[in-house]
Amino acid sequence: MTTHAAPQWLRSGRVVIGLTIVIVIGFCALFAPLLVPHDPNQQSLIATFLPPSWEKGGNAAFPLGTDSLGRDVLSRLIYGARVAMLVAVFASLGAMLIGAVLAYIAGYFGGRIDAAIGRAVDVWMSFPPVVLSLILMVGIGVGLRNVILAIVLVDWTRFCRVLRSEVLVVARKDYVAAARLLGFSHWRTVTREIVPATLPLLITLVSLEMGIAVIVEAILSFVGLSVDAQTPAWGQMIADARQYIYDSPWNLVFPILAIFSAVFGFNMLGDGLRRTLDVRVTETQRV
Amino acid sequence: MISAVLPLIGRRLLASVLILFIVSALLFIVLHVLPVDPAAMSLPPTATVAEIEAKRREMGLDLPLPRQYLIWLSHVLHGDFGASIHYRRSVISLVAATLPATIELAALSVIIAAVLGVVGGLVLFHVRGTRKEHAIDFGSIMLLSIPEFLWSLFFILIFGVALHWLPFTGRLDPNLRLPQGSGFLLADALLAGRLDIFLSALRHMILPCFALGIAFSPTIMRVLRSSLIDVYHEDYIHMARLRGLSERRILLRHALKNAFLPTLSLMGVQFGFLFGGTLLVEVIFSYPGLGNLMVDAARNADLPIIQLVGLTYCVVVLAINTVVDSLYLVLNPKLRLR
Repeated sequence: MTTHAAPQWLRSGRVVIGLTIVIVIGFCALFAPLLVPHDPNQQSLIATFLPPSWEKGGNAAFPLGTDSLGRDVLSRLIYGARVAMLVAVFASLGAMLIGAVLAYIAGYFGGRIDAAIGRAVDVWMSFPPVVLSLILMVGIGVGLRNVILAIVLVDWTRFCRVLRSEVLVVARKDYVAAARLLGFSHWRTVTREIVPATLPLLITLVSLEMGIAVIVEAILSFVGLSVDAQTPAWGQMIADARQYIYDSPWNLVFPILAIFSAVFGFNMLGDGLRRTLDVRVTETQRV
Repeated sequence: MISAVLPLIGRRLLASVLILFIVSALLFIVLHVLPVDPAAMSLPPTATVAEIEAKRREMGLDLPLPRQYLIWLSHVLHGDFGASIHYRRSVISLVAATLPATIELAALSVIIAAVLGVVGGLVLFHVRGTRKEHAIDFGSIMLLSIPEFLWSLFFILIFGVALHWLPFTGRLDPNLRLPQGSGFLLADALLAGRLDIFLSALRHMILPCFALGIAFSPTIMRVLRSSLIDVYHEDYIHMARLRGLSERRILLRHALKNAFLPTLSLMGVQFGFLFGGTLLVEVIFSYPGLGNLMVDAARNADLPIIQLVGLTYCVVVLAINTVVDSLYLVLNPKLRLR
């Protein structure tokens, strides 16, 4: 049936825009070694603070100029996409896994289990996310894997909170009761009846969480508590450029644009998916 | 009316205190399983292994973790939060010196976020169903994609570096001295009758506060818009129209009042986030508040500071939530009846 036309979610302009941006950045991340004009860590102390090539004094070999150590900004941006995308994908999937499992358990079983999980979320939410991730990074040490772990440990509550209330509604539907009466086990009821009903919400939340993960990684690498100094990351580039803001404001502009486009892409995708997948929202939109 | 609400608020406060205990224990665990050794850090690098061992015993680090926590807790309950390893000053004095700056920053940002959010929400609602809706909605997602630290950097580039309109480092011009007082610079300057200090402090706060305010306003806008849309389906709006009230009066006197409640409870969460957002904004603007203290401590692995600053953030967020929840109860007659 749907083989002839694109699926409905792909016909939303927002989804297409978001997906295009995400795919471009993902492509840069995946094929970084093939795309970069220079080694991102190669220094050239005679060519520091070069402006972009279209500015006066620019050099065509360094399209977006060089930083305080004469490293090529474009190459660093492209390699920075790796850290951003790795964190976005793995941190949001990890946070989803923990948050969703707890949300299904809390929403489905209710009662004391629900109350206990609710209290845990309350405790977590009493911390500003940035502060908690900073503390965790001090606790578990820097490095890509730990950044991902820290974001997972901070952001699972976002999934748990939103999904739990959705599960609460779905779990009281007649067809769920019917499944139980037919003799479905708890496991089968949750996986066959409840998970499919909440899947659109889950997909949307993952997409939005990816944007959040990019921001958190940028924040952590800005304060020097993310990946090691040898790995180029957008937040690091901003921190470096902030020190030399009068020497080369350009160095600040490009990583800002990179972070913005990544987050914008994920948000567009998430918002588009929310509109096309979530029936309730589409209905209120129509009125 | 208030007396009906008080028990509920009391229960909230009790829950907050409980959460605080749990958080302090969690913080303690996270910060004490880490690989750095505070005993070795507080001694000169030439210290021998035996000296470090002695110091560990002196600091109580050889005891089991639950014992260590109870000892720490009993000190805390006596008002002793320990001394910073790096600054060699009592941690509480460091936090007391920086907290007012952060509260001042956050408070001004909250006002900006609330004003922008409500005005923006009304605009979003006003253009619903028109052609402009699409463009403005698109714009609001764009705004949502710019976190506070990117706004900060934008503003620094445009208003600081390119236009030279506003300062973007610290709290005051370097030739002015901090007045003695509470640490709330704006209030202190006014009390001392120093208009120059007041204006300088205000000029230093414009960029960071707008960065925070703008970053947190889009969510408020969008929630206000959707709750206004919900409210407009209610019968009383229909009734008001039948009574011949002007659209403007219906919106401002009838709909906004009711649509504001869901927005208010969202604002509570948002302001908690905003308070956390001050952390990075302070670092970017070299603004001497809690955030800069925290980041410095994180870089130096200065555990006593991290512990107390973490708790301080937590206390402020819980306080904001309690205040917003109480307001919600006071403003919402439906909840009061029960």
